Amino acid sequence: MRARPVVAVASREVRTLLRNRALLAVAAVFAIVVVGLGGASMGSPGGYVSLTYDLLLPVELLVPVLAFAVAFQSIRGDDERGTLAILRTYSVSRLEYVFGVFVGRALPAFVVVVAALSAAGVVASLGAPEPSSFLATHSAGDTPLIYGRFVLFAGWYALATVAFVLAGSALARTDREALAAGVGVVVVVAFVADLALVALLTTGFVGDLIGVLVGLAPASAFRGLVLELAIRPAIATDPGVATAHPLVSVIGLAGWTVTALAVAAVAVWRPVER
Amino acid sequence: MSDPVLEFEDASFSFGEVTILDDASLALDGGTFVALVGANGSGKTTALELLAGLRPLDAGTVTRPTTAGRTVAYLPQSPRFRPGFTVREVVEFYGSLVEGEVDTDAILARVGLGGAADRRVDELSGGMARLLGLAQALIGDPPVVVLDEPTSGLDPDIADHIFEAAAAMAADDRLVLTTSHDLEAVSRYADRVVLIANGEFVLDGSPAALLEQAGEERLRDVFSAAVAGRGREAVDIDAPTDGGGK
Repeated sequence: MRARPVVAVASREVRTLLRNRALLAVAAVFAIVVVGLGGASMGSPGGYVSLTYDLLLPVELLVPVLAFAVAFQSIRGDDERGTLAILRTYSVSRLEYVFGVFVGRALPAFVVVVAALSAAGVVASLGAPEPSSFLATHSAGDTPLIYGRFVLFAGWYALATVAFVLAGSALARTDREALAAGVGVVVVVAFVADLALVALLTTGFVGDLIGVLVGLAPASAFRGLVLELAIRPAIATDPGVATAHPLVSVIGLAGWTVTALAVAAVAVWRPVER
Repeated sequence: MSDPVLEFEDASFSFGEVTILDDASLALDGGTFVALVGANGSGKTTALELLAGLRPLDAGTVTRPTTAGRTVAYLPQSPRFRPGFTVREVVEFYGSLVEGEVDTDAILARVGLGGAADRRVDELSGGMARLLGLAQALIGDPPVVVLDEPTSGLDPDIADHIFEAAAAMAADDRLVLTTSHDLEAVSRYADRVVLIANGEFVLDGSPAALLEQAGEERLRDVFSAAVAGRGREAVDIDAPTDGGGK
């Protein structure tokens, strides 16, 4: 994979996002909601742990929606306009094109998520009654650094969900299919995968494997990382029971990202021998 | 005589039951402006896509230039460009995909868009969008340029300008292959006309040679005689357009 075409495609995608007022509005709404939730936690004695708990579910649901807005029309739009056919006559491979679109769409989403959550952290820390709640390291380690892990995991979750939406955009053959695929990705990532886990749990066959299984679905992998690596080290009393295996969650989230991009690269066009 | 720069050899392709090419062969030389004509649904666009490397053949071979860099440029029918970008930005984007410097102003001037460089693509007329498509086809100096009905739906003056620009591109020792239904313009500008029907290239020659061979005065009449009874069984083009008085 060469850097030149990836950078060219990525910079075009970034400029596209920055010039789309509707997308800027979606990003602004996301930021307002997240910072607003941070504001609601302003001065809370629970510190960053409480803030992370407050933000975890909204982020789980809102990040896929942001990813949908950012990416669902990307590849499909190029196909529909005839741009893909033109691009194919240049020396651009499928992987270079898809990776360029991913970088150009996912990085701005990452920046929006990280910036909004960071702002929420700053807002929540304002007016804290005891500085130690937000800024000092008490015995359980409720520090900005621990909250920073949550922010970075959320950014990574944004990258993974954008990759998912891109795969849907590449697989779609019509605008309607792209819309359906994008909505489908949001629903699957945010709800269906978790429901499947719950269904598995009810069978009783899962047993101790639950910690591993939650790492296999994108939203629960993100949640598992947050619970194990951002919240657990920050609370005074260790609950004793692991909610997830961080390594499996890392592999799961990374695996979904890579798999989704691979699917997009395979689906975007059929190669023809030159 | 030099080798053809673009060639089908015993090429076959079909969409299920619909045959587009049936063991067809065609050799096209550089420095010529070739028009591929045929009835609606005869497979002109698909043939272009096969030649441009956008689709694989079912059987047979297609030979394209093997030079380094961009070898075949393609312009789809009614292309649209990423909204929000200027004409200059579009050319610069495609220029960033090829090796070497691209003189954006020179390319735009060549197709007559020098004065519209800073205009947004969503504000372009249909003709200007086609000209921008022609401009991108020149990027990387490809030896073959393939155009799919670049003048459909355009006014005669812009259509003539596009044909003139395409003919000028061919004069640079480049093969320019276009599909078109504008047979009057084809007879004026094309060096060679190829007619596709029923999966075969049934007519092939210069406009003058085809007229002489058929004993006709207009390419339009040569076309009608050639496509009569070929793949048009489902359309009664002689049906009374007033509904037969009913």
